[in-house]
Amino acid sequence: MIRLEQIHRDFEVGDQIVHALNDINLDIAHGEYLSVMGPSGSGKSTLLNIIGILDHATSGRYFLNEQNVTDMDELAESRARNRHIGFVFQSFHLVPRLTAAQNIELPLVLAGIAPALRRQKVQQVLESLSLADRAHHTPDQLSGGQRQRVAIARATITEPSVLLADEPTGNLDQKSGSEVIVTLEALNQRGITLIVVTHDKNIADRSLRSLQMVDGRVVSDRHGR
Amino acid sequence: MIASDIIAYAWQSLSRHRGRSLLMLIAMGISVASVMLLTALGEGARRYVHDEFASLGTNLIIVLPGRNETTGAGLNAMPGVTPRDLTLDDARALARHSAITRIAPLNVGAVEASWQNRKREITLLGSTHDLLKLRHWKLAAGQFLPDMEWERTTPVCVIGKKIRDEIFGPHAALGQWLRLGQNRYRVIGIMASEGRTIGLDVEETVIIPVASAQSLLNTPSLFRILIETSSRGAMPSVIEFATAVIRERHYGEEDVTVITQDAVLQTFDRILSTLTYAVGGIAAISLVVAGILIMNVMLVAVSQRTAEIGLLKALGASRQQILRLILTEAMLMSLVGATAGFVIGIFGSWGIRLAFPELQVYPPFWAILTSLLVALVTGLLFSLLPAGKAAGLDPVRALQGR
Amino acid sequence: MLAKDFIRLTGSAIISHKLRSFLTMLGIAVGISAVVILTSIGEGVHRFILSEFTQFGTTLIKVSPGKTQTMGMSIGAFGTERPLSIDDAEALKRLSFAKSVVGIIQGNAEVEGNRRTRRTTVFGTGHDFPNAFSMPLQRGQFLPDDDPLAPRALAVVGSKVKAELFGDSNPIGRRIRIGGDRYRVVGIMASKGQVLGFDLDDTVYIPLARGLEMFNRVGLMEIDLLYHEGVPEDRVVSGIRRLLVTRHGREDFTITTQRQMLDVMGSILDIITFAVAAIGAISLLVGGIGIVTIMTIAVSERTAEIGLIRALGARQAQILSLFLGEAVVLSAFGGIAGLIGGFGIAQLLHLLIPALPVHTPWTYVLLAEATAIAIGLAAGVIPARRAARLDPVEALRDE
Ligand SMILES: Nc1ncnc2c1ncn2[C@@H]1O[C@H](COP(=O)(O)OP(=O)(O)OP(=O)(O)O)[C@@H](O)[C@H]1O
Ligand SMILES: [Mg+2]
Repeated sequence: MIRLEQIHRDFEVGDQIVHALNDINLDIAHGEYLSVMGPSGSGKSTLLNIIGILDHATSGRYFLNEQNVTDMDELAESRARNRHIGFVFQSFHLVPRLTAAQNIELPLVLAGIAPALRRQKVQQVLESLSLADRAHHTPDQLSGGQRQRVAIARATITEPSVLLADEPTGNLDQKSGSEVIVTLEALNQRGITLIVVTHDKNIADRSLRSLQMVDGRVVSDRHGR
Repeated sequence: MIASDIIAYAWQSLSRHRGRSLLMLIAMGISVASVMLLTALGEGARRYVHDEFASLGTNLIIVLPGRNETTGAGLNAMPGVTPRDLTLDDARALARHSAITRIAPLNVGAVEASWQNRKREITLLGSTHDLLKLRHWKLAAGQFLPDMEWERTTPVCVIGKKIRDEIFGPHAALGQWLRLGQNRYRVIGIMASEGRTIGLDVEETVIIPVASAQSLLNTPSLFRILIETSSRGAMPSVIEFATAVIRERHYGEEDVTVITQDAVLQTFDRILSTLTYAVGGIAAISLVVAGILIMNVMLVAVSQRTAEIGLLKALGASRQQILRLILTEAMLMSLVGATAGFVIGIFGSWGIRLAFPELQVYPPFWAILTSLLVALVTGLLFSLLPAGKAAGLDPVRALQGR
Repeated sequence: MLAKDFIRLTGSAIISHKLRSFLTMLGIAVGISAVVILTSIGEGVHRFILSEFTQFGTTLIKVSPGKTQTMGMSIGAFGTERPLSIDDAEALKRLSFAKSVVGIIQGNAEVEGNRRTRRTTVFGTGHDFPNAFSMPLQRGQFLPDDDPLAPRALAVVGSKVKAELFGDSNPIGRRIRIGGDRYRVVGIMASKGQVLGFDLDDTVYIPLARGLEMFNRVGLMEIDLLYHEGVPEDRVVSGIRRLLVTRHGREDFTITTQRQMLDVMGSILDIITFAVAAIGAISLLVGGIGIVTIMTIAVSERTAEIGLIRALGARQAQILSLFLGEAVVLSAFGGIAGLIGGFGIAQLLHLLIPALPVHTPWTYVLLAEATAIAIGLAAGVIPARRAARLDPVEALRDE
């Protein structure tokens, strides 16, 4: 469902050109569980941003669900992001003035879904992530693990086909980290395509497919545990 | 995104920064309120003058001696004397027109009045029976000048309230003999105080028959002839008639100016309206300053919320939606501010009305509408830049807070 | 803290937020320039009107018949039983301090000359008129110093009347008819233009006694007396009063000095200028609120920085002065920009509309700048105190 063909991403820094991604070719099937590893600066986040249509490749072609993303205009891009993609960030990125429930319903609000339907969906997601009693707490009243679970809830509320997680456990202790990973894997079990960027060897080992990146290139692509 | 969600979102981010939002509200409120109050004052002054003129009489035509080709008629008409006097006979000749309901020849002068050992200089008016009704004046006691032949000199007078107080004091004035110059006149009436009008304080005048005034002031000439017509529509024909009659009587020389009350009123109206516009416009500069403040604060808000905007984009908000969110925030701000200003303006003018009941201080409808509109438009215009900036943010960088 | 370091610290805070600082200054600048433009126009009009009046000299005194005055006009000028006469004017001439004395009657008549006619203002007056009112002649002479009671039938025409009746030809020596009587033109007045809406060029001047006769009057409308400079005004006024009271047996006239008129005029104009400036100052107030807002934001943004400085040993007073300094710099620079902008726009207005007199009063300008700085101080106080009172531990935690 995700196909990258000869993707390059260059950044101009002063009069120097940084090749953050260098000829990436990648096929990711529906329901896969993929981890991306590599040293700092190898282009992991850049790759994730391009898959999430937050960033644009300098050259190359990107198909999402057989649709050529490279040809989309801004409106189509944001609609695709809203419908098909869920993001989970290292630093949670919850809106501090909104409650957990309000944070979770944001994508539905942006999509223009009626409040009644929203409430129902949010309630479901909260329960499935055992966050129901935290619905009306603001982010500063939640623990790190809870915050990340709220972020996951928000990312999955629109029932996207792909979930992109950039170092989701980077800001968490061991225990909360594994809770978050279990949550993500449970979602993968239910059919969502999961891509996790991580520095943690243990997490990479649990995934069914693992990419290794160095200097903007994919140096190894291991299938199976 | 549905409208109520946009507004709720904007409202939430405004109420999170209560202090700053309040300050913006105050700025917008002051501007709108000051535009409204100042135009209300200007409009009140205009209405006041308007009413004063209306109280001078309706359908009024004024004939005055002299005509100047450059100065023309209007406010600058100087006290004219002419080689050929404007006389009582002229006035009577004018009275022939069927559309004229009342006509009052007028003489004015300064004369010393005395009774027993009290003395005082007064403004003397020489006129006829019709003057009272023509000027919509009221009597406090007694009666006005008798309805008699204009040429007859009769030793009677009608006095203003202030004259009565200062010369007669506690004594009954009616029936007393008041000395004016060399002659004595019996007081037959006292004017009510509401006759106070522009340019002439009836409280300080003594009115005697026109022929008596002419002999007292030693002049055959009239100061003015006041004419009241039966209808507004009859005025042009009466003006034409008056000009023609006087020209004929003065051997072909057109040496009078015929003006209408309306013409003078319109001049005042124009001056005061221009003033109102000017004052409102000057006050509206503060709306621009308030707009600049809104722009500044919205810019700050956008830069403080860079990460949040990045997140919204990651969650699928389009450029359009971000633009709309920030614009709504600013518009909401100016709408609430303008409404506050509107309320202050309404209460403020109510307060002024309480303090100065004679001034009809109501903010004119156009001023309310324009100040509210200008407030909203400024809010919109000045938030275009911050909103555009927010919409144009690169999501990847924004998420990193850059 | 050294002054240099103080300036560097406040300066860097302002420069690090260029757009924000610019907009804050812009708010103040718009306010200040509104005030400057409005006072410039107000002061310009003020000076213009005063110069229109003072062109007649400040040692001019007007005597009008009757004691009652309405709207600056003497009712007695319309008529009175005890008029001012030519003899009164002659008597005033004999006062030691009188430099020139002219009686005036003003009316309106038809002037006929060169087979054309025109209705104009007619002044009946005397030989000294050009002296008393500093109105020079363009050509020829003014009315001669004839016997005031039996003057010759000579006339002087205003430049407009001359142009309308005679075009380019020379009217001096020609005969004209004024109100039906024949006069000989002896002079042309220099053009004076309009004074307060009254066209001084659309006039003819004839001897006073002939004017009275033409208009069938016994009394003058006013007598104007120009006194020698250096004589105290009080002495002049009391001298005139004493003389006229002796002649009339009582005080049935009004003496108005040019200085009184100027004072009244000046104070009215001052009030108008002040009112207009006050309306303009509303913008300044709103600009001040802008400073409060931005400084409040700055304090809350820099909470951690404040905590750090405090941890490094800054005293409350230093924090206070840093933030106050920032507010004052913003308002002072905004004020200066507003001054320059306001002055420029005022001058531009004058260029575009030459009829609009403009004068930027420097005391007002300094006052405006002082106001701007004061607004900066006042607006800075609340946020700066908030910054100074921050608990350093709390502030540091705010990262
Ligand atoms: N906006 C940018 N401008 C310039 N260079 C950039 C930009 N974003 C990324 N880069 C460069 O691209 C390269 C890849 O960056 P990226 O963030 O993808 O690395 P990463 O693998 O996610 O590293 P980390 O593990 O530290 O998060 C780096 O060399 C980085 O310096
Ligand atoms: Mg990264």
